[in-house]
Amino acid sequence: MRLTTLRPSLTLALAAGLAVVVYVSVQNWSGSPVTLDAVGAATIVGVSIGSLYAVSAAGLVVVYTTTGVFNFAHGGIGVFSAFVYWELVENTDGPGLPNWLGLVVVVLLVAPLLGVGLDILIMRRLRTAPLVVQLMVTVGLMVFFLTLTGQIWEANRARSVSFFWPGEGFDIGDFRVTWHRFAMIVIALVIAVFLRMLLFQTRIGVAMRAVVDNRELTALNGARPNAVSSFAWALGASLAALAGILIAPEVEFNPANLNDIMLIVAIAAAAFGQLRSLPLTVVGALLIGLLQAYNRQWLSYGGDWRFVDDAIAPIVLFLVVLALPQSRLDVGRVAHNLRPIERTTRWWEGTIGAVAIVAAAVVLANGWLNFGFWDPGAWNQIALNNGIAALTLALIGISLVPLTGWAGQVNFAPLAFAGFGAYLFFHLAGESGNALWIPVVGLLCAPLGALVALFAARLSGIYLGLLSLAFALLMGKLFFPHPRVFPPKQGGQFTNLELFGRDFDERKHYFILLAAVFGVAMLVLIVLRRSRFGRRWVAMRDSQAAAATVGVNVVWTKIVVYATSAAIAGMGGVFWAISKTSIDSVRDFDVLVNFEIVLLMAAAGMAFPVAGLFLSFRFVVEALGAKLDDVGNLDFLVWLLRDFLANFGPGLLAIGMVVNQRGAIYEMGKGFAPLLPWRADAREEQADERASKRVPEIGELGLHRPFTSEDVVELDHRLGIVDDITPPTGYRHGTDPAEVSRV
Amino acid sequence: MMAPQPADDRALLELRGIRAGYGIIDVLHGVDLRVERGQVMALLGPNGAGKSTTLGVASGQIHPTAGRLLISGRELNGVRPEALARAGVCLVPEGRGIFPNLTVAENIRMMTYSGGSYADVQSRAFAQFPRLEERRRQLAGTLSGGEQQMLSMARALATDPALLMLDELSMGLAPIIVEELYGQVAELARSGLSILIVEQFAQTVLGVADIAAIMLQGRIQRTGPPAEIAEELTAAYLGIQSPNGGDH
Repeated sequence: MRLTTLRPSLTLALAAGLAVVVYVSVQNWSGSPVTLDAVGAATIVGVSIGSLYAVSAAGLVVVYTTTGVFNFAHGGIGVFSAFVYWELVENTDGPGLPNWLGLVVVVLLVAPLLGVGLDILIMRRLRTAPLVVQLMVTVGLMVFFLTLTGQIWEANRARSVSFFWPGEGFDIGDFRVTWHRFAMIVIALVIAVFLRMLLFQTRIGVAMRAVVDNRELTALNGARPNAVSSFAWALGASLAALAGILIAPEVEFNPANLNDIMLIVAIAAAAFGQLRSLPLTVVGALLIGLLQAYNRQWLSYGGDWRFVDDAIAPIVLFLVVLALPQSRLDVGRVAHNLRPIERTTRWWEGTIGAVAIVAAAVVLANGWLNFGFWDPGAWNQIALNNGIAALTLALIGISLVPLTGWAGQVNFAPLAFAGFGAYLFFHLAGESGNALWIPVVGLLCAPLGALVALFAARLSGIYLGLLSLAFALLMGKLFFPHPRVFPPKQGGQFTNLELFGRDFDERKHYFILLAAVFGVAMLVLIVLRRSRFGRRWVAMRDSQAAAATVGVNVVWTKIVVYATSAAIAGMGGVFWAISKTSIDSVRDFDVLVNFEIVLLMAAAGMAFPVAGLFLSFRFVVEALGAKLDDVGNLDFLVWLLRDFLANFGPGLLAIGMVVNQRGAIYEMGKGFAPLLPWRADAREEQADERASKRVPEIGELGLHRPFTSEDVVELDHRLGIVDDITPPTGYRHGTDPAEVSRV
Repeated sequence: MMAPQPADDRALLELRGIRAGYGIIDVLHGVDLRVERGQVMALLGPNGAGKSTTLGVASGQIHPTAGRLLISGRELNGVRPEALARAGVCLVPEGRGIFPNLTVAENIRMMTYSGGSYADVQSRAFAQFPRLEERRRQLAGTLSGGEQQMLSMARALATDPALLMLDELSMGLAPIIVEELYGQVAELARSGLSILIVEQFAQTVLGVADIAAIMLQGRIQRTGPPAEIAEELTAAYLGIQSPNGGDH
């Protein structure tokens, strides 16, 4: 870690962290003796696991430094590869290859092909995309790979991957080093030497580093940048596969668990190397491996902190991100991704929208809609419960609109804020369910957001995403599962909401209330966007440097937007918790649930508050599937909706952002807005777009037929595109160069 | 002044009615340009005239929306820049054409993608610029501006291209270094290499060039002997239509 100056605040934070570590260690000392043998055994375990973490993290760093894409799907690729290996080697119905052959096939054939395929299909198009899009697409890929693995190999079946050379090994003193662990260390060493040689001694390695520096110049030198990137992706996928297969015997072998271990640890180790230094990344990986091993050997926790084991990598990630040097301002660099101009929604348009949403909720829930040939009828309890679940997610999801959509601050932790809100409400008004406490909860959540903002203010881009990821993981693994947060004795039960003596115990009323709350929240956001705050948020996103030069206090603006977002998520969390009646303090805050919310919001378009309604995606798809199932004879459609889209939808939608960066709502709006009488601007934009689509036709003609410049001018005249272009002077096709000088 | 008449009649580089730009913005509105074998052409013009875009088209970095790009008489529209580089078209781009986070030696190693063995390319580069040899283990980003431009130019000298294009070689450099670099260019020209030089300020190149062209607003305004062109340049920069500058 390069810490040129130790800031006082950082020293303080480090001292506080150390104090916590000492306190926790003393409190939870398991009493195992600290003997040389015990230390040696734990160290061997730690170093061998750490070596594999290093292999995995190295793959992440190599891909990031050579392609500029931070690959959240790294763990997903490792998981998928490990399952392919299981299929080839361990599955009794499979081909039953010897384990070394399976390893070779997966690491040297399957994974590289996967990497190259991903590069050609997706990653290549991401190179110039905004960071938020890059992150969403790779997170979408991660979800896609996990779903795919879970669908091909049913996730719930118990499986295991056996060690290489099971049981065999050699003894040092009293403890046994298995060949498998020994091999892990050797493999990591070999990989480290290989990467070093590759990147510094071979031409392709030099080219990989050259592409990072200047892609255009790499091409001018005669190297193929695309081929170099593909090579990097193949290498990254191979390393992920190797790490996945070798870690698999050590852990519970299911997709989510393996991904957690591979991805989070790899990210933490990579962050330790500041996402570019391979040696520091290896140090970080070994450190995490050792911490985990020592922790397991000598510390044991009661039920209060039962997930500390899993939290070690997130803790390291959190501390590393905090200790990073301040991110540099992008000054003096031309923005290549100038953001398209956004039209801001007017308050009365928002009002119409909000009223329409509430009206739709009332009509749907009561079944007042009758198509004649088909009368859907009033919603039953299941439909109402799904509707409620969707709307509560929507309320949490729109907390991302100001934060990510407008201020450009990546946040993977909406549920952490929502859960905090639920926690506050539970302790303030859990008995009465008095709705008047909800605004209080919002006010109390704001400081938590502000606190995160203080950490986040120093960071930008990818590190911001990593910080929020660490925050989500820490809240999910340390805070929420703690028995005092949602006491299991009371079952973490929430009573129904009560407002001015009126009890919202009937599901239909609660559903309509939620629709109204969502409408109001949407309207408030639309008004905020048009306010001074909204303008500052957008200005800050477009260019922090420019915003600062016109007098916007960037730190303060960040604090305000984080506090606003946390308040919205916290209040949303109250409704969410009440609708669930009891909280599953482990599963409900899983990082994958956070990811799903963020992905669906992004695919819908984070700049639009109405995107929250897209969080009903899974429910709508499943409900439609069930409806079609009733009709019968539509097996394919039912399968498509219920099995395929409901599972793969969120991931695929996010991956779709490769093509459609601004989200589904924008695309829909582009078709719909010109129909509105007051949207002359939209009609103009549409006309412009149509006109601009005509030009390439001429270009294509020009590419295939030998046109002279006069032909082109002539063609332009005929098509009415340009009417006053004069033929260029100087040299013209067919003339003698000697004449040229005398024109 | 006449270009030396090549045995082969075909021009080395020819642009016919090229239209190109960035996204929806067109920069070139029908550029016609011809560099004969062994000729040194200076392409002059004010900021924003489309000179660099022309080089972008000729090096394959920007694909024209209309017109034809011919190199040695072969039509190459849509060709990739790396393929052109391997075929011997060498563009030294504007600014410093180096990889700042690679060492000097690694920068030179990258040049071998255009042909030649590492040892050959290295010895040729160091023979031309001994100063680079002293700094071979240094990161290129830490070199002085002049040294960086030398490293950039070294590619042209070490990889034996068929066509060399130089974009604003003199920008931001001390006059003495500019003189040194153009000395190298003159030497290359004497060896019979075809060169297309883009400069905003004419004086630096007119001594080297056989023929010069003025570019204005995305078109070649006039082509002629350097001495004549130099006279008209000021008028062209100021936007004054010169009395003999065009046929419209």
